[in-house]
Parts: sequence; C-alpha cells; structure tokens
Amino acid sequence: MTATATNGADAAVDVIIVGSGAAGGMAAYTLTRAGVRCLILEAGRDYDPQAEVNMFAPESDAPLRGTGTSDKPFGYFDATVDGGWQVEGEPYTMTEGSDFRWWRPRMLGGRTNHWGRHVPRFGAYDFKPFSRDGLGVDWPIGYDDVAPFYDRVERMIGVNGGPIGLENHPDSPAGCLMPPPKPRVPELLIAAAAESLGIPVRAAHTAVLTRDMPDKVAPRSACFNATPCTRGCTIGAMFQTTTSLLPMAKATGKLRVVTDAMVSRVVMGARGRAAGVEYVDRKTGQRHTVTARAVVLAAGTGETTRLLLNSGEAGRGLANSSGELGRNLTDSTGASFRAFIPGLAGRPRYNEDGIGGQHIYIPFWLYEQQKRGELDFARGYHFEIGGRFGIPSDAVLPRVWGKDLKQAVRNASGATINLTLRGEMIPNKDTFCEIDPTVKDRFGIPVLRFAFRWSRHEVNQVAHGRRAAHSVFRRLNGTILDPDLPPEKIMTAGGEIIHELGTARMGADPRSSVVDGYGRTWDVDNVVLMDGATFASGPHKNPTLTILALALRASERLATRLSSGALA
Amino acid sequence: MTFSRRTTLQWLATATALSLAHRGAAATIAEPKAFGAPPPFKVVDWPAGVAPMAPAAGYGRDPDLTAPKVPWPLTLTKAQRATVDMLGDMILPADAASPGAGTLGVGAFIDEWISAPYAQQQADRATILAGLAWIDAQARVLHGGDFATGTPAQRAALLDALTVEAPGADMVRPVAFMDRLRNLFVLGFYSLPEGKADMGYIGDQPTEGPYPGPSSDARAHLSALLTTLKLPAGKV
Repeated sequence: MTATATNGADAAVDVIIVGSGAAGGMAAYTLTRAGVRCLILEAGRDYDPQAEVNMFAPESDAPLRGTGTSDKPFGYFDATVDGGWQVEGEPYTMTEGSDFRWWRPRMLGGRTNHWGRHVPRFGAYDFKPFSRDGLGVDWPIGYDDVAPFYDRVERMIGVNGGPIGLENHPDSPAGCLMPPPKPRVPELLIAAAAESLGIPVRAAHTAVLTRDMPDKVAPRSACFNATPCTRGCTIGAMFQTTTSLLPMAKATGKLRVVTDAMVSRVVMGARGRAAGVEYVDRKTGQRHTVTARAVVLAAGTGETTRLLLNSGEAGRGLANSSGELGRNLTDSTGASFRAFIPGLAGRPRYNEDGIGGQHIYIPFWLYEQQKRGELDFARGYHFEIGGRFGIPSDAVLPRVWGKDLKQAVRNASGATINLTLRGEMIPNKDTFCEIDPTVKDRFGIPVLRFAFRWSRHEVNQVAHGRRAAHSVFRRLNGTILDPDLPPEKIMTAGGEIIHELGTARMGADPRSSVVDGYGRTWDVDNVVLMDGATFASGPHKNPTLTILALALRASERLATRLSSGALA
Repeated sequence: MTFSRRTTLQWLATATALSLAHRGAAATIAEPKAFGAPPPFKVVDWPAGVAPMAPAAGYGRDPDLTAPKVPWPLTLTKAQRATVDMLGDMILPADAASPGAGTLGVGAFIDEWISAPYAQQQADRATILAGLAWIDAQARVLHGGDFATGTPAQRAALLDALTVEAPGADMVRPVAFMDRLRNLFVLGFYSLPEGKADMGYIGDQPTEGPYPGPSSDARAHLSALLTTLKLPAGKV
C-alpha cells in the first residue's frame, strides 16, 4: 500500500467533512454557502436516488416478495445499499454478554436515505436532564440556544406537523411547519381510546413535504401519498441529503465529494492542530492523505468515535484527555405492541397509504407524575402509531384451509393495530465502545468493540409502556397479540433502533466532556464533531432533527472562525 | 402466537356483524366445517432429515433494485411442484373473488422461497420438503398412492388432519409443516394483484394534493364503532 498526497493547489480545500448523512450534508450545505471550500469524504459508494430507487414496483416483483434477508434486512427495495447490519470485510466485535447491532449504510447520503422521518424537537428538560433527576449530565446548551436552529432546519428540510402544547414538547413558531395529513381510521380509533385514558395524541412532526418546496437546484415535490418512504423518494418529498443539501452544496462550486473513501485517522500537524485525514480508497485499497484548515467529523456516532480512537496517541486516541471518548453510549429503547381489534374486522376499504409513516403519535405525558416520584423509571418514551390494510399476520389467521381461510384474510386485513415504543436510555458505565485490541478490518483499520447493557430505568420504562399500550388495546376490546414475557425479553437489542449517541459528548468542562457546545474538541481546536456522538444525553425524541440543528449551528460557528482567521 | 380456532371464529362472526355490506358476495361467511378432529388413522413417521441445499449465492447487499432477479436455482421436482400447486388450490381455492393460489402460480414463489440461501428460508426448506415427503407417505398408507392421486375427499381428510387445533404428539410436525406452507401461500398470494383485489386493497396510487383521509363509509363505520365502545371521538 502506498501513501500519496492528493490535494495539490487546484484542489485546495478549507474543510474536510467526513460523512455525507444528516450532519455531513448540513455541514457541506452551510459551509459552502458561506464561501468555504469543502471536501466530503464518504466511506460508501456514490448513490443517485433518481437512477436507483424503484419507487413503484410491487413487492411481488422482488425476490421473496421483498421480504427482508441478511443481504437486505429491511426488504429488497429498501434504499440502504452496500451495507446494513454487516459490512463485508468490515466487522465489529462485542464484549462477552453484550448484544449490539450497528447499522452501517455504505452510500452517499448515509442513513438519510432510509430513516424514520419522525422529527420531534427536544425540550428544555431534555437538555438539562441531570438538573432534573440527578442522572447523567446536563448539556452545555439549552433549548433556547437550539430553538432558532430548529426553526430554520424545519423550514429547510420540510417538516409537516401540528401544535403539541404539552410539557417539554416545544411547539414550532408559525411558518415552520407544513400542514399535517389527516389521520387514518386506526389512528383515530387509538386516539379516542388513548384520550379516554388520559393519554394525549398529537399530529406527528414528520420530515415529509405536504407542500411543494421550489428550488433552482433541488426542487422537491409534495408527497403524492403513495410508495414506501424507506425505498427513497425520487420526487424529494422525504428529506434525504442526496436530493437536497448535497446537490445544493455542489451547485455552489465549492464542494468536492469523494466516495469510497474510508477515513482511517486524523493526521496531526503543527501547533496541536489537525493537518487533515488519511483515508483508504475502498476500491483500490490505496491510502491517501488530504489536508485542510479544519476537519469536520460527521461519520455517524460509531465511526466518528472509532476514527478518533484510531488517531493521536496509541491506546488513548485523539481528543480524549477527558477519557470520555467511547463512553456514555446510548440507543433508544424499543418495543412493539399489537392487538387485533374485532371492531375493525372487515372495515370499509379506502386508500390508507397517506404520507408513509404514522400521521399521529403519542408524546410522553407523565412528566408531572415522574417529578412527584410516582414512576419507577427516569426519563420518557413515546409511541408511534400503526395499523393499516394489508396482508394480515400469521398471528391473526385461524388454522383453517379453503374458503374459510380466504374469508379470514378479508376480515383480518386492516384489523391489527400497533403501538411502537421508543424511549430514552440513560448512559451507564457498562455501555461503551472501544478499539478491539486484535481485530482489524480488510483495510487494516482496527475495529470497534461494543459493550452494552440496559439498566433498570429502561427495563421498567418498557414495562410501563406495555401496561399503557395494553390498556389502550383493552379499551378497544382488542385481543392482545404480544407474548407474555418479562420486559427484558421484549426489548430491542442495543443499537437496533439505530439511534446510537453520546460517545464524544459535549460539556462545559473539558475534564468530563470531549467537545464544547459547538462540537469543537477541547483538545484539537480545528476538529469539530457534528453527529450524534456529541449528544450529552439521548432523549426518547428521535435524534435526526437535533443532529441537523446542531450541525447547522456548529457549521456557522466554524465558518465564522475560518473567516475571522482563527484557524489560519 | 397462533390463536385458537374458537377465538378466530369469534372474530369472523364479529366482523360479519359489523360491516361487510360494501364487499358484496365475497362478504358472506360459510358455516365453518368441523375441523379439529384428531386423525382417524395411524400417523406415519416424520421423514428423516432433509439433505442441506448445495451452496448458492444470494442477491447480495447491493443488487440492481430497478431490475430484480432471483439468482438462486430452484429446488422442487416436477412432481413436488404439482403437489404444491394442488395444495395451493386447496388452501386458497378459487372463488368468485379470486383464482386458486396454485392456479395463479404461487407454487413458483414457494419454490423460490425454499431455495433461497438465507437462514429462515433454509429452515423452511427443511420443513416443506420433509412435509411433502410425509404427506405422500401418509397418503400411500391410507389409500395406496401419492397425495396427488387421492380423491378430493381423501385429500380433504388429510388437510383436515393437518389443521387440528391441538395436534397429538405424532402430528405436531406435520401440522407445523402445514402452518408454514399455509402462511407462505398467504404471503405469496395476497402480494399479487389478484390477491390484493380479493382483499379489497386500495393503495399504491399517487394522489396529488393533501391526503384525503378516510372515505365517508370509513368514517361512518368508525363512528358506529366508537358508539359501540362508548368512546367520544378523539381531539386529533
């Protein structure tokens, strides 16, 4: 393997951005518009949704009717290509007794090509969790610091939704949100039952356009209420960086993108600053070094952390004087509950596709009870609401054959409803990632080893969620389909919700945090982290909106520093 | 989890009472047959293990999504496929709403499924191939020929035995085979246009403008259901 320096004068860049997902896309968009020359290094392959997404094919066109396999875990037509729970030749390991899943798309646009699109804002409590319950740490910033960036990001990426008006669920100012879609029948039914039990239901905030979003470079159309969002969206209704921020950044002429570029380490230069990064061309195996005035790490929580741990001082890593790098890893809790509702059997048919995912959801509603000490867990959870027409699951079909089976399918289609829990995990000392001392990937880069454990808070939270969900189902005379197992057995594995966060957390004190409130590492002032690694806690509210808002905020700060000559 | 026959038949009854008028002829539910009796015959042994499939490649992590292809070779012999097709036409038979699953070619999907080099499919392959061998062996003991050569009544009696609610020890594996085959036929059949039409599925149609929401029929049905449940409408 030979090392070559690739940037000559014609390719001079101010900032290297590692990763092209939510954080990297936002960094590229913001910095190039400020006149900063950027180079994105993306580990995955080039990807063009216009050419590659098969939006309209029925599942019956796909092998196995589109059913997920180890090659395509979320189904044949799912947008994620060339990666997933496993990446060929790029393993990760786990400590004994840990079960951790690490979702790694290897494609331009990263995880934004396939994501949940549920974009609630964090609230004031979420930024100051330690002050509220004495667990974990506070963020060095508060809701008021982030709110203006939430406003701008919602308008920038296109979010539909409505007012929430509940404690710790901030509303968006007028003009930020597009109108939400009307709820479907199963959603309205759940809403009626939930509200009768004191459980609130609100329009979800979803990163899908319900109005056109004109743009000279990357015009995006309102959702046409069909096709699964997770396949990707050629009309741009669903936010993904490959149909929005990346083409817009490229149009400035200030952005160069190199794909198949697996960054292996940050290369240090003079005065304690980073000189650039070294990357491996995943196709040829050749190593390259590129230099710039600043380095933005937006590779995703795990890869950003791995990259820092593999840089700097052997055995300690770069930007790790606090010793916190790799620690404080969290994922969201996950559990799914479902019931067959006899009253929905054989219900009148209509087009229930809507904007893809849920139209309404159940936000966490028990902050007051929690404050009074009435709950046996800290922090919150929410329910995402499901239930549509389609092929009924095995669980609701009787063991019959012949015309009775056909009739049973007709009756059961659309009669199962779901409540899917997503909850906050509190960092614990047994959950972290570190460099595996012996295993390397096919490029010779040491791999991550994960340790993972849920605490009683998460287990009790899921048990509470199950009781709440079942109370809603019972109010609807539902037949609960969930197995009767202890909560530990119904929780998703660590990483499975793909919300891993926290391994290079931000803080006010360099002794207990890796980066400051703008993502700048305390130890190396021209290395800025912009992905979920910087989160000081992992609220139950899905993280992507906050990743985008913090990346926008950090990128503007970096642009100011660059133009002021601070990083000359 | 699989629900008892009693529970699921109650669901059918409830569903009929509530609303199916809009679905016309397909809405009527026949009196259920008396399934569930233990087999009135001596059960033959479950066949010895099925030989593992020759190694085959899957479609990989980065297939061309605009031109889907099944890259692996198929498994079933002509005779096995004929039996599967026959079972398909029994499990999901032709009626006024849609053709039989065997006639519609869902047997090809079953073959594709059990031939795929993934863990779940390989587990199903062992179940289905053993089950096809078992059903022929049982038919030979009962009426001197393979399953496909039996009379309709003889074949129906076997399917009845394979759908009992609580199988005896010797029928556990044969019934599990039929459970799996039935569920695969449901997936394979109802994902086709004919199956979707049978379910009355409406969707996959781009609709410009705001999502229109439930139809007036659907809203009226919900309203009646909320009244039955003594629930006020939600505020959302």
